[in-house]
Amino acid sequence: MRAFAATSLVFLTGFAIMVLEIIGARYLAKDFGSSFYVWTSQIGMVLVALALGYALGGVLADRHPRTRVLGHLLLPAGLLTALIPSFAPRLLNAIILRHPLGTDIPLLWQKLDPALGSAVIFLLPCLALAAAPPFLIRWATQRVAHVGQVSGQVFAASTTGSIAGVFVSGYVLIDVLSLSEIFQATGALVALIGLACWSLDRWLSPSPAT
Amino acid sequence: MNTHRISHPVFQPPQAGRWPDTPTDPTGKRATAKWRRWAVAAAGAALIGAQPYALAGVVFETTSAYHHMTVVDAQGLRSLSFDGAIQSRMSLADPTRGHFEYTEYFHLPWLWNSAMRQVLMIGLGGGSAQRAYQQYYPHVTVSTVELDPVVLQVARDYFGVKESPTLEIHIADGRMFLRRSTQRYDAIIMDAYARNRYGCFIPHHLVSKEFFELAEQHLTRQGVLAYNVITDDRGWQSALLAAVYHTMKAVFPQVYLFPAAESQNVVLIGTRSSEKLTSAQLWQRGVDLVRGGQVALPSFLERIQRRQDDAALAATPARVLTDDFAPVDGLLRPGAPVRTRPDSTSTE
Repeated sequence: MRAFAATSLVFLTGFAIMVLEIIGARYLAKDFGSSFYVWTSQIGMVLVALALGYALGGVLADRHPRTRVLGHLLLPAGLLTALIPSFAPRLLNAIILRHPLGTDIPLLWQKLDPALGSAVIFLLPCLALAAAPPFLIRWATQRVAHVGQVSGQVFAASTTGSIAGVFVSGYVLIDVLSLSEIFQATGALVALIGLACWSLDRWLSPSPAT
Repeated sequence: MNTHRISHPVFQPPQAGRWPDTPTDPTGKRATAKWRRWAVAAAGAALIGAQPYALAGVVFETTSAYHHMTVVDAQGLRSLSFDGAIQSRMSLADPTRGHFEYTEYFHLPWLWNSAMRQVLMIGLGGGSAQRAYQQYYPHVTVSTVELDPVVLQVARDYFGVKESPTLEIHIADGRMFLRRSTQRYDAIIMDAYARNRYGCFIPHHLVSKEFFELAEQHLTRQGVLAYNVITDDRGWQSALLAAVYHTMKAVFPQVYLFPAAESQNVVLIGTRSSEKLTSAQLWQRGVDLVRGGQVALPSFLERIQRRQDDAALAATPARVLTDDFAPVDGLLRPGAPVRTRPDSTSTE
């Protein structure tokens, strides 16, 4: 039961991360253009978020092995994601308009500004989402002898979700929904995952694994 | 942004660069090991040596962050290809010739402003439009924005593009450049689409209503935007063309259509002036410009005659593209439906 809950949840977090990555690159284009550096920085920044999120999720899982803790992370992350269309333009403006008008932007900042833009918008939600897999591996593991199997399942489910996220965003969502709608829908999905984590503790007692 | 000269004919690479024939074993069964060595050596040589287009008069070949570029000389013409599709062409004997016909529609802004001084071109490619402006209108300052620094290098080295006080080239995204520019231009000329075997590529942030508003804010009172769109086989029925038309029309009071004669390009001209000129009036203005010596392009009047009325396109339902919703990739697929959502053709 726990393994099933964990794999379902990380499938969805993996999905949400890649929707944010792909749609995010599209979103950044109106401010930074569709340059090579936009894709480079978007991929790079999402990976930074993943690295930090994994580390955070692992530490949290050992200290508080209750999914409610994960809910505390994912609910605000969902809210933040849904609000991207409202707060992001101001932040991106600040990044771009700090260069004096009518002059070429120095090459270094042509490269780094998109990374800065990716970071201020996508770092926090992706970080929270990335905390889920290590957290849920710990939570779903009943016996240390099974940790290999559980972690394998969780990794596989999370990556499968990410694969779905890439293709669904690129082939479907971009053609049928506006960017704002995609961010709102993804935010709602993340908040729902958070709610699910919140309520899981009630159904399942804390992990007996030691 | 991606600033490429677009091309109509899709370049078919010649049958050069095929793998060499598998070496035959000269000594029969005894030499299996030797044959293996030969095979390994031949495969290695093929990997190193099998550059595509190797026998097609390739003058230069490189890969930038955006494209695999080749410069090819054949039959007196030099062409620039991105990822196997020709973007620009130039006669080796006379660099002012050999260009694609659609680039001549970029002279049409003179019809609305016979005293142009400042022109912005988004997209450099092989520099056809830049060379033409330098030749025919040496008093006009042409600012060019090109995304890819390697394109600029190739244009300098192989297509005779020379930066000068009247031709300044900035390496930047077209939209970012415009947003931060404090200048106003008499004309903005957009040629930033690419096409290859996988279809067109449109930078979506250069086709939204917000982009056209930005362009309009950087035009002088009589300024015009000339916008090159490449359509698919359906031409007029193209969902993309209808969407671009309606989006431009949401910002510019008048939008004129000039379908190229020799390719599937359509050059849309948006004017800040709300006066709608008839084809006869445009022709008369063209005649005056040629007589007055302002425009010396030999085919100028022919290009004016390609004008098509925009009524059919205005009647085609299509959604105004915005930063928030610009499914240009979906619109580019053959058979893409003309998208009508409840708020179709409305502005947001």
